[in-house]
Amino acid sequence: MKKNNPEEDSLLIHRAQKGDTGAFNFLMTKYYPRVYASLFAFTKSKEDSEDLAQQTFIKVWKKINSFRGDSAFFTWVYRIAINLAKNHVVSSNYKKDKINISSDAIEMDFASHANPETDLMHSQSLFKVRSFINSLPETLRTAFTLRESDGLSYEEIALITDTPIGTVRSRIFRAREGVLEFISQESTNEK
Amino acid sequence: MKNNDINEKLSALYDGELDEAEINSVLDALSSDESLQKKLSHYALMSSALNINEGNVQPIKPKNRFNSNFWFSNGITAAASVLLTIVFINFDTINFSRLGPDNEAANRLNLAINSKAINFSRLGPDNEAANRLNLAINSKEAKDIASLSEENLVDHVLKVINNPEFMSSNNSDIDLRNVGFNTKGQSNSQYIKGKESFRLRLEKKNLGINKVRYWKHGNKMIYLVPLADGRVLTLYGNLNSKSAIEIAEVIDK
Repeated sequence: MKKNNPEEDSLLIHRAQKGDTGAFNFLMTKYYPRVYASLFAFTKSKEDSEDLAQQTFIKVWKKINSFRGDSAFFTWVYRIAINLAKNHVVSSNYKKDKINISSDAIEMDFASHANPETDLMHSQSLFKVRSFINSLPETLRTAFTLRESDGLSYEEIALITDTPIGTVRSRIFRAREGVLEFISQESTNEK
Repeated sequence: MKNNDINEKLSALYDGELDEAEINSVLDALSSDESLQKKLSHYALMSSALNINEGNVQPIKPKNRFNSNFWFSNGITAAASVLLTIVFINFDTINFSRLGPDNEAANRLNLAINSKAINFSRLGPDNEAANRLNLAINSKEAKDIASLSEENLVDHVLKVINNPEFMSSNNSDIDLRNVGFNTKGQSNSQYIKGKESFRLRLEKKNLGINKVRYWKHGNKMIYLVPLADGRVLTLYGNLNSKSAIEIAEVIDK
């Protein structure tokens, strides 16, 4: 499972704290799927998850100056999201049977939660993508999976693969482009 | 080549690996390049999807709605987050709410519509925004059209709400005494008439709007009024719609 690096977004966060909405929009776009996923795991409702995700990012924007970097940014955003979800559950007489695990367990193990896309996607699509990643040239596949699945920094990947950081950056980019191209082709084929 | 360069930088920034000196170029490009915004959304979806535990992936029977392409269905959902946000500001029931009926103001507004270039047609519930949201979720094309202008509005409204200095940063001594408002404060940035008080700001760019947009934040109103010369007037404070019209008419002359 991808680890959360507290330093990962520090420059963007610092900018957002100074009122840079472009930096904030970047962070919001980056984390929206994960926030939505966490909320969906909690609420089991697409509509509630969308509403709560919106509220989460409004609150994140308002409170971003209180983020001190003690934890990873996503961990902090996640706490806001789940607190909103808890309040929502209390305030809306939410049916408890919609929640599949206790809220405490969620906070302790949020990273293992299912993604909302699990409800929407066919598992075959994901398996196809994973198969495609496995078919990438070894150098691209290694850099990409060390980053995406293991959450390693470029420097760590460079050390492991004995490659310059610039090359790591390029390989990860090329792998991403390849995956997006594959998805686009799959989409065209299905139409 | 240049395109590839900015795309590679986007990928690096997504990973939190871009030098500070290079961040500006990516954020600048993102603000105006919709394909780059879409790519960022897809990077996020890709990460999220690839980190799903396989045990959590539930094989489901194809549904027409999602069968064609889950990636882009969800891409729209994620990329529409900005649009969702602005609609939230329009409709949120906790801190924001719609304006109530105001018949007198409505009549004045209709007169204004007929006599001026200002379009004050958005008095009722924001059905257009709601429809656009639905279309944005269900139609890639609609999302493409809607998201950019709404994103600009999100930026602007959040600045108005969260940054008091933003509202007094470009006020160039506009005289509103003929509609009864006097200035207050060292920078003359606040206008007052009885119980009404507000700050104003003029944008040279039109923010992608051609109709008046308005929101309620706590006990304050935010009005965005496109003027005939292409500028946009922002009014923020305790101000009713009737006064907002009068002020816009004065500035628009």
